[in-house]
Amino acid sequence: MLVKVLKNIKLAALIAAVFVHGPLFAEPMDSAHDLMARMAKASKELSYKGLFTYEFRGNLTSVKVVHLVRDGQTYERIVHMDGPERELVRRGDDMDCMRASDMLLRGNVLKINDDSYSHLQDFYSFYIRGDARIAGRAVSVVNVIPKDKFRYGYIVAIDKETGLMLQSILINSQGKPMERFQFVDVSIGADVDDVEFTSALFSSEISASDDIDVDQSDCLKANQPVNVSSSQWVPKWLPPGFVLSSYQPVDAEGQESLMYTDGLAVFSVFIDYAEKSRLLPPVDANLGATVAVLTKTSLNNQQYAICVVGEIPRSTASQIANAISPLLASPSP
Amino acid sequence: MSDHEERLAESLSALMDGESTELETHRILKEVGTESGAKDSVLSKWQRYHMASSVMSGDPVANIDFSAAISAAIDEEETHRINPIQRFAGSAGRFGIAASVAMVAVLGMQQFNTVAPSSSDAVQFAEVAVDAAQQNTGPAIQFPSGFQPNIQARTVSVGGNNRASQQPVMPAIQVRPALNQQYSEQELRAYLNDIMLKHSSHAALNSNQGMLPFARVTKSQEGSSIQDAEGSYTKGAEGSYSNGAEGSRDD
Repeated sequence: MLVKVLKNIKLAALIAAVFVHGPLFAEPMDSAHDLMARMAKASKELSYKGLFTYEFRGNLTSVKVVHLVRDGQTYERIVHMDGPERELVRRGDDMDCMRASDMLLRGNVLKINDDSYSHLQDFYSFYIRGDARIAGRAVSVVNVIPKDKFRYGYIVAIDKETGLMLQSILINSQGKPMERFQFVDVSIGADVDDVEFTSALFSSEISASDDIDVDQSDCLKANQPVNVSSSQWVPKWLPPGFVLSSYQPVDAEGQESLMYTDGLAVFSVFIDYAEKSRLLPPVDANLGATVAVLTKTSLNNQQYAICVVGEIPRSTASQIANAISPLLASPSP
Repeated sequence: MSDHEERLAESLSALMDGESTELETHRILKEVGTESGAKDSVLSKWQRYHMASSVMSGDPVANIDFSAAISAAIDEEETHRINPIQRFAGSAGRFGIAASVAMVAVLGMQQFNTVAPSSSDAVQFAEVAVDAAQQNTGPAIQFPSGFQPNIQARTVSVGGNNRASQQPVMPAIQVRPALNQQYSEQELRAYLNDIMLKHSSHAALNSNQGMLPFARVTKSQEGSSIQDAEGSYTKGAEGSYSNGAEGSRDD
């Protein structure tokens, strides 16, 4: 008798458990952080092709894009659908190459220097805004809100099935949209092999000027920071959370560059001592959401042009440009 | 840079972005009025900002002094200010002044775009805006409630009564000769386009957006295809692109 009662209780409990937890297991709730991490992975590892639009201040362009993964390498091609004919190809980036933004978006903590660290969650708040439909697919919309005035916010729409980002809107401190990327049509995964469009990626017919260089020197190995030992310049101030993601030593034209990211926002610093750049005036320009702040400085009677470019507020770019200083502490032999 | 200068620079940035407050607009105008053309004055900075914006968006470049036009508008306001009704209206009137100042700035920019003949897309957008604005040559607050003039300046405030500046303010705009330049517009364009491409190339690898950042680059090139400057500009830009790409590949 007692055994029978116990059996019934067990059965009832089991049924209750299934009813209570069933729906939760069937549709797991992703946290906003999980969604961002998934998005970072998807943008690298998935093959996709589609049409997207880029819009700022009443201007609109449409662009065809393909991203293929073959044998662990990525192949990308974009073709502009309006205006002058133009296309860009990027081939042979290692899928396993993890750069600073990949690490940050996936929730990792990166060391900036001995007493500061970069962690996406310390500089942005993430809220799941809800569900929507973009390019005919179900998406989750995430609001990404900056915790300080040094960076912009985002609204991103992430494909529910694959994690691919299908929309990204840059939002300024007044909450106004500054630019928008949005797919209007996309196919993801197996049905991407459009021979006509993708064959160009593997042929050598593409002219060199359309081929974008792939720099893999900035792939992070075992959380080692990017090597900047040959740079003569150092920023005395950086917006918090930005980590050096790439460094290009002085090239044949006399230009050196330092590039930074906080995982979402990116800015580049160019230091130039070429004759033609020295004559440029100090300017402060913007194109859509991108600002360029050019300042002049001199070191050992040599004039330098310092230019900060990025999708960051103008005041942040000015502060960075004014803080770039010669590295005098450790003179080179 | 002193605190004061830094704050001015920020206000000027905000004004350029159409995001300045009334207070900031006044601060800049005050500063422009007191300076006597010092080398790095607010006025010259303002002119440079405009030139740079024009270069980036591919509009024709000219040095225009807005401060004369704005000062003229303020002079008109002065006569209105001593009106006893105005004294009663108090601070509301002062907001009205800020509103008309912002109006001059907007009209000035649009005038600027239509002066040079050009068929670029950007200018066509601007012309649409001028048509809308020309039907309403007074400040926003002249219009009865319910009728909102099509003005894109966020600093225009609604409130107060202001009938002083009935006449169009456009003729007050003066075009001054260009400052002494050691560089050409083409060089500035080529430089900005070059760093923009390099930045986008980096952003494409270092953000989660894949090739999307390259969409930004092309926009600048399309915008730059002004008919009268096309030949020399396009040549310069292509030259620097391929040089840059080959240079880094050789490494």
